[in-house]
Amino acid sequence: MLLLAPVAPALASQVLRISAIPDQNPERLNRLYGLLAKELSDQLGVPVKYKPVVDYGAAVTGFRRGDLDLVWFGGLTGVQARLQTPGSKVIAQRDVDAKFRSVFIANQSAGLKPFSAQNDLQQLKGKRFAFGSESSTSGRLMPQYFLAQAGVTPKDFASGRPGFSGSHDATLALVQSGAYQAGALNGQVWDSRLKEGKVDTNKVVLLWRTPPYADYHWIAQGNLDQRFGAGFTGKLQQSLLNLSPSQPRQKTILELFAAGRFIPAKDADYANIEAVGRSLGKIR
Amino acid sequence: MSPAGQLLLPALVLLPLLALLPASWHGGGFDLIGQFLVAAVQPSTDPALIAASLRGIAVTVAVALWSWLFSLLLGVIGGVLSAEVVSRTLWGCSWPALLLRRVLAIPRSLHELLWGLILLQLLGLHPAVAVLAIALPYGALFARVVAEQLDGFPRRNLEALQLAGAPAPAALLMALSPPLWPQLLSYGGYRLECALRSATLLGVFGLGGIGADLRLALQSLQFHEVWTSLWLLASVMLALELVLARLRQRWQEPNSEVLVGFAALLLLLLPASRWLELRWQVLFSPWQWPEVLPLWDPNGWLQDWPQLIGSTLLLTALAALLAVALLPLLLLLLGPGRWPRLLLSACGLLARLLPPPLTALLLLFVLQPGLLPAVLALGIHNAGILGRLGLEGLDALPPQPAQALRLAGGSPRQVLLMAGFNGIGRSYLSFGAYRADVILRESVVVGLVGAGGLGVVLLESLSSFAWGEVLPVLVVYAALTLVGEQLADLYRRRLLSGPLPQEGCPPSASS
Repeated sequence: MLLLAPVAPALASQVLRISAIPDQNPERLNRLYGLLAKELSDQLGVPVKYKPVVDYGAAVTGFRRGDLDLVWFGGLTGVQARLQTPGSKVIAQRDVDAKFRSVFIANQSAGLKPFSAQNDLQQLKGKRFAFGSESSTSGRLMPQYFLAQAGVTPKDFASGRPGFSGSHDATLALVQSGAYQAGALNGQVWDSRLKEGKVDTNKVVLLWRTPPYADYHWIAQGNLDQRFGAGFTGKLQQSLLNLSPSQPRQKTILELFAAGRFIPAKDADYANIEAVGRSLGKIR
Repeated sequence: MSPAGQLLLPALVLLPLLALLPASWHGGGFDLIGQFLVAAVQPSTDPALIAASLRGIAVTVAVALWSWLFSLLLGVIGGVLSAEVVSRTLWGCSWPALLLRRVLAIPRSLHELLWGLILLQLLGLHPAVAVLAIALPYGALFARVVAEQLDGFPRRNLEALQLAGAPAPAALLMALSPPLWPQLLSYGGYRLECALRSATLLGVFGLGGIGADLRLALQSLQFHEVWTSLWLLASVMLALELVLARLRQRWQEPNSEVLVGFAALLLLLLPASRWLELRWQVLFSPWQWPEVLPLWDPNGWLQDWPQLIGSTLLLTALAALLAVALLPLLLLLLGPGRWPRLLLSACGLLARLLPPPLTALLLLFVLQPGLLPAVLALGIHNAGILGRLGLEGLDALPPQPAQALRLAGGSPRQVLLMAGFNGIGRSYLSFGAYRADVILRESVVVGLVGAGGLGVVLLESLSSFAWGEVLPVLVVYAALTLVGEQLADLYRRRLLSGPLPQEGCPPSASS
């Protein structure tokens, strides 16, 4: 690796490669990150390219290998990527990410009623239960953590294991259809689907909202200052924080991110996620 | 038992599957299935989306073409060197060939998806990873077919040439290349179709192309967008299949058209490589396993193997039987007329178009998670592939037996049963045995429906980057596949004493 180091910058040229975990439909991702690449390029004066990645694990691997410079990670994938990539650091999160929540939902036919005490998660024992993607923070890691606190392990679900739908929308659809009796997903996705009228409230019921935790965040490689000039990482962070709803293109970007603004974030904000990840075996 | 009887026997698998159905059916997402089907006639025509889908299909085709080319090279070279007849002629002993055969069994034993995930760790996020991931197992499989064909040819010509004093390499080339040529062409062409399906599946698992668009759109329930991608993929797949079927008929022997065809393909490869931004130097960078991902973890080997292997094998067996059973059964039920045939062909195309994990997700809208949706997803996909081979086989049968039966007063169904099924029975079943082997490899991809088995452990360990747990699963998978391959071979040898027919080889060569 040391031998390759002097060659690497030349190979990578001076393009800033940004990417994101695929948690939305591809059309929206392409629109969002296309705009963001233009915006960052204008602000920073360097070419910026969006490299789509279609798998959570591939995003982590791409970052570790140095194929991606700035990535929008989920809580868990971000910690995984940072631990595997020495020097990299958290630079920003959305205003909503400091206090993110998951929701537990159920099909009406499962006979479950909304509750406010975490211990009532025990009612989910013996039910067919769906998480989202294996690597999702809001669709898997934190729900599993809150379940564990209430004394429910994945083995307690019907057939001895939970299902993994692959995405928040799929979890919603599969619980609403009745394939799974209950499931957990991103609270933000739930709220916006509810607002869009895509949830059939005759079929699916909100059981419980989890306590808040830190989720999505931007992580940058540690070598950006060397490659793009002293202070580049700081400038990059500032241009993300500068995005403001008063300018049309920036407003669109923030809307697509479902964020009011980006706020500064640091590695320590995700210490809790790391601890949970380790306790559940998702971080080794 | 007559071949026709053996052809219909697997249909018994429907009994347990039907028995499972009432308990598994929930039907709650029936409206979603309806929306999915209606969206077929209303694909999204958003120009940005169409542009993205076109890019996606271009990437998939480019991956398929390049990986196919490499697998051909690897297959021909590896096949020739691992043929006993070549080894004996050149070196006077057969152990180099047998040794190479064993070595080539390793790349073959893992699904291209697993190769993709391994190479991703070794090489990073490059299109070359997808190309290599398909080329390795395909090349090893192709080598096996080439070697089997070479060893199956009569030796008389070779011996005659050698007695006449021809040097060994020249004698081999003169004696063996003419009979190998048509096999190479038709099997090679068929592998291109397979490469297209594999490239799509790799996309579903994060290696880019149309499969990625399909998965993300389907998971976010954007059915109109799903169909934009599906129609594009369908037209490419159908065009490829039709062209290859036509060429198979015309290219029984070398002629100038073949050269023109290959030249055209090579011309396609260049834009494909620019499109993919294939940077081959990536392959020559040091292949280094990342230190942060330890491969060895004693705890990783402590799994409930009997249960995991058992459920994987059960899933494989049921899905393979279903895949074999569907075509004969449906043909018999619907009758051999022109319209039922057309309907079956259309359903078959859709079945092999949709990668199994996506079919599984659709099935979950009406079925509870568990064994049944997993069996159906794998079985239906492979029935789409086998069905087409079966229909082609029926078309290629000599017409006389059917005419004789018809003149003797047989009903269309009787004619189909006696002439048709008996005619294609042996080769169809032997393709089926080979498919069972493929299904075992593919069972990893339907982990999401909660059918249990090795696939679930694999996906979970991968998402934790726990390669100490991934490695044992890969080893067990490889061992299972190799044993499965041996069993499938034994069955096929019993089925037909003689050279084994291969999927995609002209039926004349397989009977």
